[in-house]
Amino acid sequence: MSEKKVTPVFYDESGNIISSSETLLRINPENSSHGSSKRIITPPRQISEDVSVDVNDVSVMFNLSKNREEGVKEYFINFVKGKLSYDEFWALRNINLQVKKGDSLALIGRNGSGKSTLLKTIAGIIRPTRGTVKVRGTIAPLIEISGGFDRTLSARENVFLSGAMHGHTRKYMKSKFDEIIEFAEIEKFVDVPLKNFSSGMISRLGFAIATCVSADVVIADEVLAVGDARFRMKCEERIKKLLSGGTTFLLVSHNNASVKKLCRKAAWIEKGQLREVGPSSIVCDNYAKFITGLSAAPKEPKKSRTAIE
Amino acid sequence: MKKALYEFYNYFPFLKEIIKRDFKRKYYKSILGVAWSMLSPLLIMIVMTIVFSTLFNRSIPHYPIYLFTGSLIFNFVFDGATICMGCILGNAGLINKMKIPNYFFCISSVTQSFITLLLSFVPFFGVCAVTGVPLNMYMLLLPLLLVLVYIFTLGLGMLLCAYATFLRDLNYVVQVLRRACMYITPIFYPIDIIPEQFRFLWELNPIYVYIKIARDMCIDATLPSEKMLIVGTCYSLLMLGLGVVTFKEKQDRFFLYI
Repeated sequence: MSEKKVTPVFYDESGNIISSSETLLRINPENSSHGSSKRIITPPRQISEDVSVDVNDVSVMFNLSKNREEGVKEYFINFVKGKLSYDEFWALRNINLQVKKGDSLALIGRNGSGKSTLLKTIAGIIRPTRGTVKVRGTIAPLIEISGGFDRTLSARENVFLSGAMHGHTRKYMKSKFDEIIEFAEIEKFVDVPLKNFSSGMISRLGFAIATCVSADVVIADEVLAVGDARFRMKCEERIKKLLSGGTTFLLVSHNNASVKKLCRKAAWIEKGQLREVGPSSIVCDNYAKFITGLSAAPKEPKKSRTAIE
Repeated sequence: MKKALYEFYNYFPFLKEIIKRDFKRKYYKSILGVAWSMLSPLLIMIVMTIVFSTLFNRSIPHYPIYLFTGSLIFNFVFDGATICMGCILGNAGLINKMKIPNYFFCISSVTQSFITLLLSFVPFFGVCAVTGVPLNMYMLLLPLLLVLVYIFTLGLGMLLCAYATFLRDLNYVVQVLRRACMYITPIFYPIDIIPEQFRFLWELNPIYVYIKIARDMCIDATLPSEKMLIVGTCYSLLMLGLGVVTFKEKQDRFFLYI
């Protein structure tokens, strides 16, 4: 943990800075990676009923081995040499977030800041190295465009496969099938293998499946970027409809305008740490200012850094 | 335990879909399609019979069926385990994007080979009829044996998969081991050619135990000995236990390697 720790800034509805007592009171086990004896056990905390996503002090570490051993020989040679060392890379550090039911949160930040890692952690794909993630209800993750599609299968088969991955039966998916195809506007291509689809069509299908099936939490990672303007508007309407129905929505986007339009709140992540959390208009503006400041400022001597998104 | 069962129930539709997908993918753009599952073991059996019949034909009654039982079970165990070994890497696209219990891919891989095995019983009984091996009531016990072999293969597959995801070299090692096992398992030769004092070593081989049970039922038309059945069951359960424990321990780190 060489990077200095950033204390996140929390804004309330009207834009005043509040110091979240909860965040300040909780002691972050900074050194617990080295010795478990130092770890301070925090009492199990109560999560109120209306919280739908609870991210509690989550850190994710990747081992960035410079020469990844993918064979017995190299592994053995390095083992003998005592060179089985890894560079620890903390993709996320001590993230604390709570999203209420029916609320919408956007994650913003530069490339490699850990947005996608956080979404994957919430979706349960990555297990956090430390900390816990609790999600109430079912999740429909939409991670990258073709998430969970098989390109050799037709759109029809993919709907059922994808539905099954969300834990839905074929019968249930049949009842939703027409709605999905209609929303994705691919009526003519239902039985065409997905590999012949355009990327826009695939992302439309993915969005249609994730939002037509009932889920308590919908996670979208850069899916809106591919569709054309008209489809984006359609998606935005759909998201608003979902939100009014009590679905929680998490979005990763680089498009500040759509973040402001779709999400009530935003969280700005910088180098794996939470920087600001608050109403999307305030956080987005601060983030935009930060970016302009970065590009205007004289370039600092470049340090080589590897980033994982 | 209750949670695991609930999870299994919850994702059961997914298991069905993924087995269907794998099945379709296997015969993607092949003209004969499913027929290959029946044709290829038959053809391999014919080739092997031609090659080895001059050597062992006189000492083994019903040599084609003797060979067929051996190669069916042996190939299922290794095909299933090999497909299972690569299932995490092969489905990285899904695992990276959805939260799905990883072991479902193992079950699906082994089940896929199992379907092939079941289909091969069509030519098996065909050969039985042609070569004059009478059907007998002990053949009704075959499903029990198949369940044992399935459990064994799933365990072996999960064990290999847990390591193969980190160490891709394992694929090559297993291929060599498969060839070695092929020769140390009495598939095309009778166990009598092994000197008496070493024979117990051959009888420890789990795959041979299953093959022996199958031959007792199909060729000798007798009830397999209780000892064999108990040993076979123990092998299955032990292998499954070992596979599940290893897989469970390793799976949290899969996402770093796919």
